[in-house]
Amino acid sequence: MTTSWWTIFLMAAITFYCRYLFFTTAISFSLKGPIKRMLQYTAPSVLTAMWVPIIFIHDGNLTSGLDDPFLLAGIVTVVMSVVTRHTLLVVGVGIGSFVLARMLLGQG
Amino acid sequence: MSDTSTSDEQTFYSSYPDSDIRLVFQAVIDILPLALAVVPWGVLCGSLAIEAGLTPLQAQCMSLLVFAGAVQLASLSIIGAGGPLSSILTSSAVISSRHLLYSAVLREDIKPLSLAWRCLLAFFLTDEMFAITVAFKARYNIFSPLYSLAVGFMFYLVWNLATLAGILAGKLLPSLQEYGLEFAIAATFIAIVIPGVRSWSVLGAVLASGLTALICEWFKVSQGLIIATVVGMACGFLLSFREEKV
Repeated sequence: MTTSWWTIFLMAAITFYCRYLFFTTAISFSLKGPIKRMLQYTAPSVLTAMWVPIIFIHDGNLTSGLDDPFLLAGIVTVVMSVVTRHTLLVVGVGIGSFVLARMLLGQG
Repeated sequence: MSDTSTSDEQTFYSSYPDSDIRLVFQAVIDILPLALAVVPWGVLCGSLAIEAGLTPLQAQCMSLLVFAGAVQLASLSIIGAGGPLSSILTSSAVISSRHLLYSAVLREDIKPLSLAWRCLLAFFLTDEMFAITVAFKARYNIFSPLYSLAVGFMFYLVWNLATLAGILAGKLLPSLQEYGLEFAIAATFIAIVIPGVRSWSVLGAVLASGLTALICEWFKVSQGLIIATVVGMACGFLLSFREEKV
C-alpha cells in the first residue's frame, strides 16, 4: 500500500489544531471545572500507555523476567527518575543500562 | 532557610538575559538535554517510515509537518500493518489531545500576540517546549515569546535532523529496530512522567493507564492506547475528588 500524502497532511492538521485551539482569540473559553481537572491526567496517562508496552511486551509476549534488558533497564530508569530530575541523566543512564544489559545478556 | 529549597538551576541563571541574543542562547542551552534525548527516537521514526513504505520525501515531510514523535510512531505502526486511515487519525487525535492542555495553560500568555506568533508557537508546541517554557516562567515570572520560539525551533531542527539520519541509516541498515531504539522512547517518557507523580491521583492515573495498556497489548485489542488513556484519566479524575476532602 502506498501511503497517501493526505494521511500526512491530515495528521499535521490534527496535531496543529490541538496545539493552536486555545490560542485562538475567537473562543472566549476558559478551562475550568471538570474538564480542566480531567485534562491534567491526559499527559501522564497517554505517555504511560506508550512506555509500559515497550518495557513489558515483546512480540506479543509478556517480559521473560530479569533476563530481559527492556525490563532491567526500565527498572533502572524508573529508579533514576525518582532519584534525580535531570532528564538527560535519567535518559542517558537508562539507555546506557539497556546497552550494557544487552551486552551482558549476549543479545547485543 | 529558603535558599536550601531553591534548585540548582536557579544559581545558574540568576539574572534575566538582557539581550535577545542571550535569550536565544539560553533557550538553546535549556532545550539541549531534551533535544539530545529525542535523537534515537527521531532516528527510529525515520527508519520506520521507510519500512512502512513511505518515500524518503514523505518520511521527512512527516517530521517537518506533523512534528509529533508519539503521533508519528503510532501512525507508522498502523500504516506498516496496513491499518485504515480512520485508525491513524483517531490515534493521532487521542495522542495529540494532551497538547490541548498545554495550549490552554499558555493561553493567557500567547493570546495577545499576533496571528503569526500564535501560529508559530502553536506549531512548535511539544511536551519538551512546554516543559521548558513553564520552567522559564517559574524562574523569571515572565513569558518570553522569543525564548519559547527558540526552544521550539531548536527542538524542531534536532528532530528533523534525527529523522533524516534515520531515513539514510534505514536504507543502509534495514533492521534498525533490532538495536532497541524504542527503549529510548520508553526512557524519555519515564523521565517525563515519573517526576510529575506528586499526588495519589496522578499515581492512580499512571497505574491504571499502564495496566490497561498492558492488558490491551496482551490481548491484542486495537485502539488500546485510547482505551488506556481514557481509563487513566477517569481514574485520576475520580481519585482527585478524594484528595480534596483530605
